[in-house]
Amino acid sequence: MARPRLEVLSREEVEKIHVASLNVLSRVGVRIDHENALKLLNSVGAEVDFNKRIAKIPENLVREAIAKAPKVVKLCSRDGKLCYELSEGRNTYFDVGSAAYYYIDWRTDEVRRPLSKDLADVAKVTDYLSNTHIMSTALVPADVPDVIADRWRMYVVAKYTTKPIDTGAFTVEGIPDAAKIMASVIGEENVSKRPFMFFAVCPSPPLKWSYLTMQNLIDCAKLGLPAHIIPMPQTGGTAPATIAGSVVQANAEFLSGLVVAQFVNPGAPIIYSGSPTVFEQRFATSCTGSIEVQLISSAISQMAKFYGFPSASYTIVSDSKVFDEQASLESAIGAIISVLAGLDIAIGSGMLYEENAISLLKLVVDDDVAGMALRFGRGIDVDVDTLAEKVFEEVGPGGLFLKHKHTRVWWRKEHFMPRLLDKRSADMWRKMGGKSLKVVAKEYVEEILKKHQPEPLPQDVEKELRKTVTEIAKRYGIEKLPEV
Amino acid sequence: MSGFREDLCFSLRQSIIDGDIENSLKYANECIKASMNPLEVLNKCVVAGVLELGDRWIRGEAFIADLVAAAEAAKVVIPILKNEIVKRGGKLEYVGRAVIGTVEGDIHDIGKTIVATIWEVNGIEVIDLGVDVPPQKFVEAVKQYNPDIVGMSALLTTTMVKQKETIEALKAAGLRGKVKVIVGGAPTSAEWAREIGADGWAPDAISSIDVVMKWLREKRSAVGETHG
Repeated sequence: MARPRLEVLSREEVEKIHVASLNVLSRVGVRIDHENALKLLNSVGAEVDFNKRIAKIPENLVREAIAKAPKVVKLCSRDGKLCYELSEGRNTYFDVGSAAYYYIDWRTDEVRRPLSKDLADVAKVTDYLSNTHIMSTALVPADVPDVIADRWRMYVVAKYTTKPIDTGAFTVEGIPDAAKIMASVIGEENVSKRPFMFFAVCPSPPLKWSYLTMQNLIDCAKLGLPAHIIPMPQTGGTAPATIAGSVVQANAEFLSGLVVAQFVNPGAPIIYSGSPTVFEQRFATSCTGSIEVQLISSAISQMAKFYGFPSASYTIVSDSKVFDEQASLESAIGAIISVLAGLDIAIGSGMLYEENAISLLKLVVDDDVAGMALRFGRGIDVDVDTLAEKVFEEVGPGGLFLKHKHTRVWWRKEHFMPRLLDKRSADMWRKMGGKSLKVVAKEYVEEILKKHQPEPLPQDVEKELRKTVTEIAKRYGIEKLPEV
Repeated sequence: MSGFREDLCFSLRQSIIDGDIENSLKYANECIKASMNPLEVLNKCVVAGVLELGDRWIRGEAFIADLVAAAEAAKVVIPILKNEIVKRGGKLEYVGRAVIGTVEGDIHDIGKTIVATIWEVNGIEVIDLGVDVPPQKFVEAVKQYNPDIVGMSALLTTTMVKQKETIEALKAAGLRGKVKVIVGGAPTSAEWAREIGADGWAPDAISSIDVVMKWLREKRSAVGETHG
């Protein structure tokens, strides 16, 4: 079966970008504010200027790293019953946008700092949705001290969904602690075997790694935890204004992280990710919903496939400040392109407000959007049954397929049924209250929160998990943590 | 003394607007060679150019890249003209003094530098502390330079909290009442500024001018004097 596919680069162009990134890595180099990483690179043959903290990475190291890295990365549900195998975009998994500082209250539309309870609500809703496969530590709760907010999020989310969790650390202790948090749920022996969390590490564009992200990457590699390296080229700001130049930069940054990870621990699981933005010259804003973001993301997907790695990108995002037409249309374009470009993970469900707020209304509509995109990506089944030659004989000219058994069997298999998008007659729609999509989404969120009970953690596990988080908090002198 | 050469001023202002560093330097030096009043050159031919571009950007007629280029060109020629003012026995007049920096943990430079340059061309003496500036360094800078204004930039949601910590550090050092604090950066907002006890916030570099100039005017009318 032919699957609909989108390629924005020819094979030759992919190779040109590859070569240009190798040139950037070996001639310009990357700045790494991390002494040990520089020493490591130096010891394996990179040319390092310790004063300027710049490592020039030769091609042979890149080749070696590519050969060492696994081509399949596994993400599992908390209970281990479900594992996604990320591999060259065989499937696209939709993922809630991570680390928003604000929450758009679904009842009042108020933009405010989130509480832990709001994060629990996002987890609960995501747990229920069928086309949103990965939950993230979506919000940075304001009811805990900032110093432990990164790890506290993991606790809240792990409690309220079984889905795999996209997360990251804001602290040097973040990754080793995350391993402890996972160990208290699935046992230490399973942490690298079936991790239910994976970790964002973002180089600082252009061509720079901060101490914190480099340490996070090294820790992930050492512990065998999946890391997604997220270059963030910003066209015309911190990256060239050109699409190709931005892809070269993203690729060089990704490869530099890959080299460090693979020389720290050969076989460390890495996802080639991205969060491209357009630096809007008219308003000096970083835009995520611009169409060029989709071009760069598609190119990232192709580069990842060229090396054989799973790919991800922030594609189902909008620059709208409220849940409106723009919020859905930009996300819809992103969703369909993600599937067509074969991204393994499409990130950003629910995200608005300059990538800085989560809206539950957008999240539930994004789930319908994701469903549509996934259906399109499945393509057209062509075989004896679907060609339906026999059915034509039986129905005949002027007949009605509606009455035929074939319809009952196949309609359901062939069509995606959105939950929120209205498909009723105009008359029926009016009778049902003539509600806008926003109202429908609101009622849907309310219903999920009222009715859906995510599978709870076994009591002893929950206790152990709370103990782990409490101990982490105590280390910072924090005695009181919210109940969620 | 020669007269004011409008043709040279026009070329200099145009070079600034074009972000053409080489020509800006060339015409600034020609202005000096023609013995034009350096303070007049600074205001009419350099600052005016940047401000015009700022207006154009606000109106949606210029790109941010154009504004940055103009600011960069101005940054190169301003010291030359200032130097000339001093050489001729003149005095540099500032409307106020500001300390600015990107907060600790954050290495974003562009936004902060644009703001610093825009303030500078508006006659504010700016001490730029750079990026990744810890709260204590802001405190020390306030002690050392006695500024009217402290400006803090943060581009990451994870570092914006450092703006709050810096304000608290200023309070702890007993300096909070001496300065007006303005915060900015993509993840910040007017609400955030209120929440952390800043005096002001601006969505972009150009708008920040209105905020700080208002403070400086208020201060001048209250104190009845200007900074030397």
